[in-house]
Amino acid sequence: MRNRFAGAVVALLAVFVFYTAIVPMAHAQSGQGDEASKWKFNPQDFPKGDGGPAPKRDLTGTWAGPGSSPLVPRGGGRGMDKPELTAFGQQMMSQAKPIGKYSPAGTNDPHARYCDPVGFPQNAYTEARGLTIATMPDRVVFLIQYMNIWREAYTDGRPLPKTVGGTGADALDPTYNGYSVGHWEDDYNFVVDTTGMDDRTWINGQGMPHTVNAHVQERYTRVDKNDLRVSLTLDDPKVYTKPWSLGTYNYKWIPNQKFDDFSCIPSQVIKYLNELGDPAGSDPNAEGQRIGGR
Amino acid sequence: MMRKVLTFVVALAGILTIGVPVFAHHGDAAYDESKPVVLKPCMVTEYDWMNPHSLIKCDYKDESGKVQHWVTEIGSTPSMTLLGWSRNTMHPGDAITLYVWQSKTGLTVGRLNKLVTADGKELTDRDNKSPSRYGAEEK
Repeated sequence: MRNRFAGAVVALLAVFVFYTAIVPMAHAQSGQGDEASKWKFNPQDFPKGDGGPAPKRDLTGTWAGPGSSPLVPRGGGRGMDKPELTAFGQQMMSQAKPIGKYSPAGTNDPHARYCDPVGFPQNAYTEARGLTIATMPDRVVFLIQYMNIWREAYTDGRPLPKTVGGTGADALDPTYNGYSVGHWEDDYNFVVDTTGMDDRTWINGQGMPHTVNAHVQERYTRVDKNDLRVSLTLDDPKVYTKPWSLGTYNYKWIPNQKFDDFSCIPSQVIKYLNELGDPAGSDPNAEGQRIGGR
Repeated sequence: MMRKVLTFVVALAGILTIGVPVFAHHGDAAYDESKPVVLKPCMVTEYDWMNPHSLIKCDYKDESGKVQHWVTEIGSTPSMTLLGWSRNTMHPGDAITLYVWQSKTGLTVGRLNKLVTADGKELTDRDNKSPSRYGAEEK
């Protein structure tokens, strides 16, 4: 009995030593100092610890998001609420054929079929691997790796537009990313409010709908030097009975401030669907499954 | 008590070793997950390292000598990179072994279960704990 306990402790220590000493050493030997390492994202290379206190009113830099590395803690979709739909919302939702149920061949997800922009808020958490935040005099700019897109949150004090969509002469057009304004709530929390998102986009892969009048609030919390946390809530009373959480997502500071390229490529999704996705068929009555791999 | 400690150690090691988060672009309801089809050997004709999903195309000769053309999907390039894949994992002419979840349509298309490369290296396209690109609520 005692031997088994000792063995267990030794095994635990071995795991600890492996991940705190040997893995970082191996990475240091393989990547550091090479010119190439400045031009490539290394999913194993992150600063140890929190890096010290968060700088005040500063999000600027390049960050690794959920899914980019096993070393970035996942907040992810697991934090997304299950909202209650209004009757109108249910009607909208009934039009969606999500890929999880209908497969690539049967889905009507415009991103899965055509690589159409997922739009905001989905681009804040779908394929959220890389994010650069830059500060300009009158706005904060979010440069999103997936699909090479950017968003702008104006900080000059302007209010959000009141009329987006419809047929009025002064109405603004809905856009994929909507219209955003931002302000510092305190030294470590930057809050972005957005409305006017194109209602052809889905909130997530299940096909959760929204109107152009949906209001999304993002809260960027600079936890410390190396950690950024983003929480989102959505309010769209025509579609949902109450505001709901779109989840909380964690980001880590990237030491070399470089991220790799990643987009859904329209010509490649056509090839994928022609040669595999469509021939594979659709079985919407199947039980959900996770296959492949171990 | 000892068993609990051992279980904890094994679980911790397991999480640290294989709990790699990757995303997957697409649903899998079209595939038959009851038993993978084994294609050994399958001769690579094309390897498309692309997004949203990469494709492996290879020719497999069945018992009667008839050649079957197979198309098998794996994940997106960043997901596969995290699992040890690259654009050079295979090349046309390579003799690989594929374990494939075949489409329920019966056509020779499917999703990868496991690859054994020409030089004997085993690779998968994700682990069962992997969240999809939409997080845990995809299904």
